[in-house]
Amino acid sequence: MRTLFFAAFALYALAVALEFAGTAFKKEKLLKAAWYVFLAAFALHSAFLVWRGIAAKRLPLSNQFEFANAFAWGVALMLIVMRGRLKTDWLSVAAMPATLLVMVYASLQPMEIKDLMPALRSAWFGVHIGSAVLSYAAFVIAGCISLRYLLAVKKGNADRRALDQMDYFSYRMVAFGFLFLTVVILSGAIWAEQAWSAFWTWDPKEVWALITWIIYAVYLHLRLRMRKRGTAMAWYLVIAVPVVFFTFAGVNTLMHGLHTYG
Amino acid sequence: MRKVFRYLRSMRFGLLLLGLIGLCSVIGTVIPQGREIAWYAQTYRSFHGVILLLRLNRIFESPYFIALLILLCLNLSLCSLLRIRTVVTAAKTETQRAARAPDTVLLTPEGAEKLRQYLTDMRCKSETIGEATVWRKHGIGRYGTFVTHLSILLTVVFGALALYTPTVVDRDCMPGESIFLDDGTEIHVHDFRIADETGRLDYQSRVQVTLPDGRQSEVAELKVNHPFSFGAYKLFQQTFGTTGSVTVTDPDGSEFVSYIKRGDVLMLDDRNRLVIDTLYPDYAMSPDGEIVFDTVTTGVYPNPIYTGLIIADGERTPFYALPGQALTLGGARFTFNAPVDYPGIRVKHVSPLVNALLVGAFALMIAGLYLTFFLEPVLVKTDAEGCAVLGPKPERMRVELGEELREYERQLGGGGFAAF
Ligand code: HEM
Repeated sequence: MRTLFFAAFALYALAVALEFAGTAFKKEKLLKAAWYVFLAAFALHSAFLVWRGIAAKRLPLSNQFEFANAFAWGVALMLIVMRGRLKTDWLSVAAMPATLLVMVYASLQPMEIKDLMPALRSAWFGVHIGSAVLSYAAFVIAGCISLRYLLAVKKGNADRRALDQMDYFSYRMVAFGFLFLTVVILSGAIWAEQAWSAFWTWDPKEVWALITWIIYAVYLHLRLRMRKRGTAMAWYLVIAVPVVFFTFAGVNTLMHGLHTYG
Repeated sequence: MRKVFRYLRSMRFGLLLLGLIGLCSVIGTVIPQGREIAWYAQTYRSFHGVILLLRLNRIFESPYFIALLILLCLNLSLCSLLRIRTVVTAAKTETQRAARAPDTVLLTPEGAEKLRQYLTDMRCKSETIGEATVWRKHGIGRYGTFVTHLSILLTVVFGALALYTPTVVDRDCMPGESIFLDDGTEIHVHDFRIADETGRLDYQSRVQVTLPDGRQSEVAELKVNHPFSFGAYKLFQQTFGTTGSVTVTDPDGSEFVSYIKRGDVLMLDDRNRLVIDTLYPDYAMSPDGEIVFDTVTTGVYPNPIYTGLIIADGERTPFYALPGQALTLGGARFTFNAPVDYPGIRVKHVSPLVNALLVGAFALMIAGLYLTFFLEPVLVKTDAEGCAVLGPKPERMRVELGEELREYERQLGGGGFAAF
């Protein structure tokens, strides 16, 4: 069934190539083709996710491969929902490569299915990790929207209203992601008390989730209270994405802690 | 003085504190925490003096980090308490104020109809005051940030209590025996087993707690992720171990079981002793007939073997014994038993109230964020000429209405909605 994963992977790559070509040569047909290929990739990816869950007899979210795989799926899902409901076609050129990037990371991880270790067998597993998928994906989409905003400002080809819309959508994605990151941290604390006997142990993963939370909390204050928006805030959200990646992948690879499950 | 107070309650100060806490957190993950001093000396060499001086090796317990948390609480309390009055007063008078607000967008009759339809579709409540109609929805959303701030404050306070007030002891206990706590509480371990589910081991004990006042719990299963609470005690399946045991039959026929540790001495009298050195999990015979012991203990003991020394009348003889074998010495009989697994239990004395309050603060935080982001207040005034969008967070409406009313805005020369 690895074939299914790599087929989805290949189609995502094709979609990105078509999207770039369509954007560079301003060819509507290529852009349309890119979109359909992306939808096909997403369908295969969803099938893989379901298959993996059935084969493992649990939610397929337990190790770096499974998490990255679900994370990429979350980014793709959010792009599809946004394009479907809000007609944000301009987002694809940033969000498709973002999906592919996470898929690349997933493909480099060991893929074998392992039984859940006892410390992970809990009702909190789905809440905690599922929320992390949604929250990270939302932050990545917020970063992609901001990237498009910056490109549009640089090119000077977007009207004020389009820019306002991008700015607003990126804020909404942060709001959504922030709510779910809060769920991640709080459910993690409750779970940690059950599994390790303490709500908080200053484990590197916990601390980096907190750092990410603080970074987005500062963004929300600047935006909601100080009414800051526009280019500076778009830069802020683009620069915050590597922090999200570090919390997700960097901590596991570079730091040792209770969250290092492999 | 006033200035200081104003700064202490300001968002700028709140953000500065958040930034500093974030910075300390980064340092706390880059420099490994809580190691031996020698480790820092070896790893960071001349730099280690600075690390120790600034307590970067235990940054999350350092006085300045705790001071930051206290200041954060102060900032949040001042901000929340001082703001809530303004928010409540504003909520009470907002309809009247909205009715008096000047129009910021002029609308044609069709435009006005479209807007009315939009607001009706949004299920806004409308109220007519004089010439104007005021449309409202999600008034409760304005309390979102207050609830969020309050919940963060409660989380820090109850979190600190939940982290630092419990007493925690870790105790090993042989199956069939009991742990006695200082206050007289008895924790009886009925049995313990290691379940091997496809290579991932699960550790399960069955325990029963008897409190000093005689109240007794049912026999509960304790395993990783499934702690057991009784009274103010919470028990966790923390670790496990394996040990050997010897059944000693005295010359008079009485019998007792002795669990052994490395180097245990079973003494009969001054001249006769049995010194048990080690219980090895596995062994093999080398080609030249020597026994080679496997010293790696991964929790599995496929071929356990005891080693030790018999001291009889001052003479020392090494021995090996397999489970089931027996030795006789000075009239007593020593039967070596199969290895026994035992649990290491963590006993935490907690206040269930503090834990419940902390979880309550968590729930409040989720509710606060939900109110803030998903129940944004809508406040719109319409009249015969136009409208004013007044909600504290009219952005979404601006984006959505912008689509609907682009035409009219263009007639006005643009900028109408952008003014909000
Ligand atoms: C530990 C974290 C936080 C600190 C230290 C903090 C601190 C503050 C402070 C001092 C203010 C100014 C209050 C005033 O105007 O009197 C403020 C305002 C505000 N904060 Fe926070 N805050 C935190 C978390 C959050 C979070 C998670 C949100 C998420 C929604 C949030 C949303 C707001 C908003 C919207 C305002 C503007 C005031 C309002 O509209 O009610 N804050 N914050």
